[in-house]
Amino acid sequence: MRPLESLRLSWRSIRGHRLRSGLTTLGVIIGVAAVIAFVALGASLQAGIIGDISPDDQRNLYGWAADPDTEGGPLAGAQFVFTQDDMDGVSELDEVEAAYGYATIEAQSVTYGGETQLQGDGLVAAGPSYIRDTSLADGRQFEMGANETVINAATAEQFEENVSVGDELEVQTATGGAETLTVVGITETSEGLSPFEGFEAAPRIYVPTDPFYERQAVGPAAGQDGEDAEAEDGGALFLAIVVEAPTADQDDIDTTRDAAIAYLESDESDASAFLGDDLAVTLQTSTELLQQLEDVLGLLQNFIVGIAAISLVVGSIGIANIMLVSVTERTREIGIMKAVGAQNRDVLGLFLAESVILGVIGAVLGTILGVAAAALGAWYIDLPLVYPLEYVALAIAVGIIVGVASGLYPAWRAARTDPIDALRYE
Amino acid sequence: MESPADAVTMVDVRKTYHVGEPVHALDGVSLSIPRGSYTAIMGPSGSGKSTLMNLVGCLDTPTAGSVSVGGSDISTLDERERTTVRGTEVGFVFQTFNLMPRLTALENVALPQLFQGVSRAERIERAGGLLERVGLGDRKDHLPKELSGGQRQRVALARALVNDPALVLADEPTGNLDTETEAEVLDLFEEFHEAGTTLVVVTHERHVAERADRIVHLLDGEIERIEQLDGAGEPESEPGTADGDQGAGDEPATEQDGDR
Ligand SMILES: Nc1ncnc2c1ncn2[C@@H]1O[C@H](COP(=O)(O)OP(=O)(O)O)[C@@H](O)[C@H]1O
Repeated sequence: MRPLESLRLSWRSIRGHRLRSGLTTLGVIIGVAAVIAFVALGASLQAGIIGDISPDDQRNLYGWAADPDTEGGPLAGAQFVFTQDDMDGVSELDEVEAAYGYATIEAQSVTYGGETQLQGDGLVAAGPSYIRDTSLADGRQFEMGANETVINAATAEQFEENVSVGDELEVQTATGGAETLTVVGITETSEGLSPFEGFEAAPRIYVPTDPFYERQAVGPAAGQDGEDAEAEDGGALFLAIVVEAPTADQDDIDTTRDAAIAYLESDESDASAFLGDDLAVTLQTSTELLQQLEDVLGLLQNFIVGIAAISLVVGSIGIANIMLVSVTERTREIGIMKAVGAQNRDVLGLFLAESVILGVIGAVLGTILGVAAAALGAWYIDLPLVYPLEYVALAIAVGIIVGVASGLYPAWRAARTDPIDALRYE
Repeated sequence: MESPADAVTMVDVRKTYHVGEPVHALDGVSLSIPRGSYTAIMGPSGSGKSTLMNLVGCLDTPTAGSVSVGGSDISTLDERERTTVRGTEVGFVFQTFNLMPRLTALENVALPQLFQGVSRAERIERAGGLLERVGLGDRKDHLPKELSGGQRQRVALARALVNDPALVLADEPTGNLDTETEAEVLDLFEEFHEAGTTLVVVTHERHVAERADRIVHLLDGEIERIEQLDGAGEPESEPGTADGDQGAGDEPATEQDGDR
């Protein structure tokens, strides 16, 4: 029999059982949609993250101290070890352009012009050069030791009357204190300025570590509990640091990194006292950190795709089940076809065509649904959607494979039905 | 014993089923069915009618002896070749019509051609012509469930004829029909017979069998007798004249030891 005729005849019988066929394909639809959606979202997320690194950020090294065996993204397993003196020491190295501590200060709310807004993400305390010139829309960097702040566009715009340079903000911190800050600059972007902050757009307020972090640090950060008593004059300890290389050149970055780590791990630094044998200082650029993040994302994505693939397997078991029922139900029809001259391979072809059609329909609908879901998700978290086209082709192939795999046994059963028995079958 | 003039030639055919005790469903049957003839097969239940039909219809192979259908000895063919002979040389008409429920009358008639790789245009023309001949030219697009019993059996007859087979094998073709439609269908059979179609009808009803040229009476897997009828359909008894009667007197048991 001609292949086109098998398809036509099979399509007829699929249409004869609309509801059943629809439910059967549902398993495949969900499986393929899940795979496509997660892969597309993952690709979009990665593109979004990579696309966000500004060239200026390339010469920054982000650092922390942790057990070298700790796995994970930025700051995984990090300990409070760095003092302001360490930062000053690193800054003075020839190979280093600038070095400063980085910390977030828990804040509750921020008030401007009598209007109070909750401040979820807290205050970011860092050095002046953390605010890169290119990211400023207006004003200048804050200065160390001054009651100054740089805010981002989202913070400026959250009040009824936009905040502008020169205005004053009052910030209530989690510890109950209040700080009055003079706005000296407003950034262009509302996304994070470094991998420490994360990348989502949110209202952010940047302040110098001195005096704010010194004043607001609590717990281990304050360097006052027993073990950390060595930290002289109770100076605050930093969890995270930023070391700036003179240029974004890879060689410069490497020498800067080596020099900074050598200094921090030598006896000259305060940090070395805490580092001991089990902690090591890590200094990495955004690109390197993102690579790690991407690896973690990739792992997560593989996991989710694995789960989705299991649902595909379940879907194909569904097809196999329905095909078996269908073969039994149509025993008499098989007998008729064989009586009028259908070869075993004709019968095999008919049933296989049926399951392949179900598989492909499931895969195509699943792809459409998956891309739609990914588009919706990308729109929701504000990412450019990347269409992994090769996965769409793969989904169709998967549909065919699922169809063949799940249809093979039922079709084989149908093909070897004995026509005499089949014609007698009630 | 095998002549090209015969649609079917059976020589000393035996069929033994082994279900505990061996059952000799056919026990030395020799029978020729000439082309253009009209043969009825009668016999009580269990006499071997179905077994005979399955062999003549190339659905089964004999335990011993030879069965030629349209010139091919089916006991020497593999399953595929047997299926091809079945599809091209035999047309089936069943008691329960056995039409494909989701195919239209036209598609049902054309079905055997589909498996022979005939083109769509050719199928539509051939099947359409046959439906006209059985008087269903205006029912081509109807589904079986939209047709009466008599109409369904006429579709089945058209389907049986579509590949221009050596013979049409009808198993109780009027068993599910009322008297009036039965007569209609039998008239149609006669019409095709007169036009040259070879017919074999299995029935347990005397008046159906009497439409044929001759009646083969089966009993316990053997041909009891062959009864020749004249054209008018009156019985004309000729007891004992089995054609080529090797099968009649042989000792029945002891010889068969297994299927091929
Ligand atoms: N598939 C089978 N397996 C075992 N015995 C069978 C089978 N088919 C038929 N028989 C036996 O063969 C004998 C002839 O049966 P059958 O040809 O069906 O007779 P009829 O059609 O005249 O009723 C019966 O005794 C029946 O029980």
